[in-house]
Amino acid sequence: MLEMQGIGKAFGGVRALRGVDLTINPGEVHALIGENGAGKSTLMNIMSGAITDYEGKIRLAGLEIRFSSPQAALRVGVATVFQELDLVPGLSVAHNLFLGQEPRRSRIFVDNSTMYRRAEDVLRRVGGGISPRTLVGNLRLGQQQAVAIAKALAVGEPRILILDEPTAALSTHEVERLFDIIGLLRSRGVAIVFISHRLEEIPQIADRVTVLRDGRTVATVPASTPQEHLVSLLIGESLGALFPPAGTATSKDRLRMENFSYEPLRPSPEWQEPHGINLTVRAGEIVGLVGLLGAGRTELLQVLYGTAPPGRQSGSVKVDGRPLRIGSPVEALRRGIGFVPDDRRGSGLVTTRSVTENLILADLKRLSTLGVVRTGRVREALRWGLPRLKIKAAGADAPILSLSGGNQQKVLIGRILLREPDLLLLDEPTRGVDIGAKAEIYRLVRSLAANGLAVLVASSELPELAGWCDRLVVLRQGRLVADLPPDTDPARVLALAGALADDTNTPQEP
Amino acid sequence: MSTQPTEADVDADHEVLTAFDDGKPPATAGVRKWLRFRFLIRFQSLLGLVLVLFGGIVFSPRRNGEILFLSADNLANIVRSVSETGIIAVGMTFVIIAGGIDLSVGAVLGLSGVLVARLMIDWDYGTVLAIVIVLIAGLLFGVFQGLVSNYLRIQAFIVTLAGLQLARGLARIISGDQFINISFGSKPKQAPTSFSLLGDRLFGGVLPVSALVFLGVGIIGSVVLNTTRFGRHVFAVGGNERAARLSGINVRYVKIATFAICGLTAALSGILDAGQLAFANPDSGTGYELTAIAAVVIGGTSLFGGEGTVVGTLAGALLLGSLNNILQLNNINANLQLIVTATIIVLAAALQHLASRRSNT
Repeated sequence: MLEMQGIGKAFGGVRALRGVDLTINPGEVHALIGENGAGKSTLMNIMSGAITDYEGKIRLAGLEIRFSSPQAALRVGVATVFQELDLVPGLSVAHNLFLGQEPRRSRIFVDNSTMYRRAEDVLRRVGGGISPRTLVGNLRLGQQQAVAIAKALAVGEPRILILDEPTAALSTHEVERLFDIIGLLRSRGVAIVFISHRLEEIPQIADRVTVLRDGRTVATVPASTPQEHLVSLLIGESLGALFPPAGTATSKDRLRMENFSYEPLRPSPEWQEPHGINLTVRAGEIVGLVGLLGAGRTELLQVLYGTAPPGRQSGSVKVDGRPLRIGSPVEALRRGIGFVPDDRRGSGLVTTRSVTENLILADLKRLSTLGVVRTGRVREALRWGLPRLKIKAAGADAPILSLSGGNQQKVLIGRILLREPDLLLLDEPTRGVDIGAKAEIYRLVRSLAANGLAVLVASSELPELAGWCDRLVVLRQGRLVADLPPDTDPARVLALAGALADDTNTPQEP
Repeated sequence: MSTQPTEADVDADHEVLTAFDDGKPPATAGVRKWLRFRFLIRFQSLLGLVLVLFGGIVFSPRRNGEILFLSADNLANIVRSVSETGIIAVGMTFVIIAGGIDLSVGAVLGLSGVLVARLMIDWDYGTVLAIVIVLIAGLLFGVFQGLVSNYLRIQAFIVTLAGLQLARGLARIISGDQFINISFGSKPKQAPTSFSLLGDRLFGGVLPVSALVFLGVGIIGSVVLNTTRFGRHVFAVGGNERAARLSGINVRYVKIATFAICGLTAALSGILDAGQLAFANPDSGTGYELTAIAAVVIGGTSLFGGEGTVVGTLAGALLLGSLNNILQLNNINANLQLIVTATIIVLAAALQHLASRRSNT
């Protein structure tokens, strides 16, 4: 029904897609998988009409088309539910469903009774018993997701429904509800494009899978394909070659946490408090933090770096043998702790400034005399940093946003490395980074560890941690539940993290 | 920002060449083109200033073949006419780059004027001491606004809107709600003669002192913003507050300091205002905050923070002054001047929008 041929797209100098072919049949659930940066979102944005300048051809029911906007795509039956749900929290469900096309009385006044009646019809089709009068802001995330899907249905039955990582933030139960909705739509002949990076969901819900890697279609295979095979398609044959050889940890403890807990003064359900953590990271060692979304990985790193919401600590935490007072980044940096956040755009890059300015941001004190920044010393820092970090840029004064995601990430890592930390905390250091840059980041961090740096890295990609780290520690609901060697069977690691437990209807490979 | 290529640039270029190897197209061409474009935008106000000066020469009335617009007197007049809002605009540039705004500056100007007059006339302070006290008062007023904004977590717009009312109210109380005439001399109820220097012209009566102060403040501001650690911090805080905090920058301190600088420049303007006019009016400086913001915006500083230059602001202020001067020389009425100013502001903002759209794709 929908055919995409040779789709290509570049952002500035960064090539996101280089010739993707994809065919969607009526009434199928087509999963689209790929690593971060493989081009899933870009492809989806082209399909949905959000990106209009691309190379290649799209045919819908045999006719060549080119959408001018998501609205235009919607009119011919291609509806999209984006990951950031475009709902207005302050309006009722019904108002959200008919936003911009409210039924009207005398062409001026919103006809509320008609709207609520039609909203009820639409909501019945997604199920879940959501009242059209509830404020969207008061719904749980899974319910909001259902409303977003209902919104796509409110306009008229779509022929193709694109779902962008719909399960990323949902609980197991909510995922099941979502799959019910998808099944219902499929039975009515709606084709569904399902973007995900949870491989275990695929056999449950999809009919076929297309794997993207580095902006290309690697393969389209039946959803029953074994998971290991999918993983090798995702990562490429050279998975092992990405990772540098392991190093040797020394016996010197850099970080030592004993029965450590942290309780914010104002607890929030979104912020998972660390409970009774026992964790040691030695000099020369890279330790991987495994855990599901919401297990408290980021929170633990935030506490150590002093960016957690104010709260009480108990138990002990020592850096290089001396107790660490949980305070502020200034304090943490003084104690030799460096941190690279996961949200590159939001808490990392100063988007208005150049590569140089971003690189030296944390180290201005050393680079200046009496408050005046010395250009000579800055140049020296660049001479140290640019080749070592292998940053590819048009120049040291190039705007930071002209760099690819991988190079931006290298700048952020370099920013902290200029401070010569003894303990480095990394949160999702390779999110949205292409494979080449990933390998460079792995090697860089490994070589620093060889010189005595201790590294604690959180990532949602288990293969990455397994290949890169010396030890894996598993977090579950804020508690450290296991400390394992990196070659532990991934299924066991995931089970400990709680990915498979309590989830009786998830079919697992034998 | 050095324009000379450094060794690092050369190294980086080399990196780009090696980037061909992994089969990716080089990012260079597009980025280079964009950099050139960005350069134009950054100095749009200088470009605009040149255009306006050129227009001034063409449209200037002439007397005995002499171009009136270019006469030393007239040029000095232009600089003097923008000196008060210009000085404030320099302080405003810091606040805006750090992501804030300060609406209280016009009122602080009025407050400073009456305060300096009262100090000298009624309380017998010497010129220097009176000026120093008022400068410190302006600085503290800024610090106070910064503290309120940061610790009560109220947007700068609201805090300084309140600050505007507060400063104006204080000015009226201190002045007893009337003009304070400043006469110079050594008798009681007279200001020291040295204070009249502020209204003087130096170098054979050509260069007004206020113009000199304006240019001095501009140079200091530009140096502080571009060469000091504090300057980088201001850009970082305005560009990405969370990134700045994670990099160990004391974000609150930086924000409060920008308000302090802005308060200081407003106080300086108020002192100059009183010195030039030889009277202090509690309602002096009404609307100056908007003129100052206009100069900053025309100068290419983004109201979203993180971007901007003091040089641009100076050019923006001078551009507005020159434009008004030309229109005045040609006897075009003041209302039309407002309309022309409006056009310029929109043009400058549109140019910037164009530039930022480039940078986001």
